[in-house]
Amino acid sequence: MKKNVLFILLITVLISACEKDDFCIKNPITPNLVLRFYDTNDRETLKDVERLSIWAENKDTITNYKSINIDSVAIPLNSLATKTIYHLKMNNSDGSIANNQTASFTITYTPQEEYVSRSCGFKILFNDVTFESDNTWITEFTPEILTTIDNQNAAHVQIFH
Amino acid sequence: MQRMCKYFISIFFFFLFVDGYSQEQKKAIEETEKDSIVYKTPYGIRVGIDISKPILARFNGDYTGFEVVGDYRVSKNFYLAAELGYEKNTSKEDYTNSTSKGNYVRLGFNYNVYENWLDMNNEIFLGYRYGFSLFDQTLNSFTPNVNTTYFPADKISAPITASNLNSHWSEFMFGIKVETFKNLFLSTHISYKVLMSTKEPENFKTLFSPGFNRIFESSTGFGFNYTISYLISFKKK
Repeated sequence: MKKNVLFILLITVLISACEKDDFCIKNPITPNLVLRFYDTNDRETLKDVERLSIWAENKDTITNYKSINIDSVAIPLNSLATKTIYHLKMNNSDGSIANNQTASFTITYTPQEEYVSRSCGFKILFNDVTFESDNTWITEFTPEILTTIDNQNAAHVQIFH
Repeated sequence: MQRMCKYFISIFFFFLFVDGYSQEQKKAIEETEKDSIVYKTPYGIRVGIDISKPILARFNGDYTGFEVVGDYRVSKNFYLAAELGYEKNTSKEDYTNSTSKGNYVRLGFNYNVYENWLDMNNEIFLGYRYGFSLFDQTLNSFTPNVNTTYFPADKISAPITASNLNSHWSEFMFGIKVETFKNLFLSTHISYKVLMSTKEPENFKTLFSPGFNRIFESSTGFGFNYTISYLISFKKK
């Protein structure tokens, strides 16, 4: 009897004191938009964008992308809206404000929630995606539409400049 | 030092022999004084309730449960067993909050592996159950996992209920039963469950099934109960 009670106590403690055993390790769950920058004259070759800064309309500059030289970026899309407008600033001469060139890149889409797992919860898929740009320093980009963005294993858009 | 070791080793050998001798002697005594009295044990139906579930519900606001248990003795060590219950549980995860509630039944048998002394009627048993549950699961709220603070997601609190879900599982258990007063038994078991099938809600998953408990990623689960039951004896054999 005494042993029995002890046993139950032990089990209760074991069950109630259990720590979380599963963590979401499949990050990032909701895909970012991946842009890669290519040379407009030699379209097979990646080309750094000089002093690139990226910010969304009415928001601060993304901390990872603040005046850096880079040929590939992954940027989040707003899951609460059907449209995200990004501004991409570059400066390929001397870094003075007068020489900044800013292009806008607009992404429209339909967000959709998809269940992943207990620890990861729901991810957001972006369906029927269309891209638009005002082509200031961006000469061209491809593709202009995508049926869905459900992962970020590869670049979604190639941008030529 | 070496000598001491030698000494100890020979001592051990000595005891080994003594032990061997005493064993043999005991056996001889047993044979001569063989007991002819047969102790009878009761056969009948045993019914009870799981007292761990109401206790658990008291300490855990996310849980309520009730379980009735019963078994029927078929032969010396073999019992048909069943459990019937209701459970409601809220699973609070990082990105989701959902409630499952419904009824379940478990049918199977227990096999007693304990050899009782005299007319005692205790058990150490191994058991198997087939389990079936019918339940609803409501996704109370969730926050999409957008893993970015640049565009944070909002918590969505419109509940979505999936009704008429079911699951089937196999359960292997190990437990003990002790007769504390005449015909009154305290029993506990722990069990390992393997999910055979479950009807999942659309664009979500069954995280908790009544009778099964939490469904782990590997479609397995664990359970235990602590019951108090009364034996209604029909005959003695």
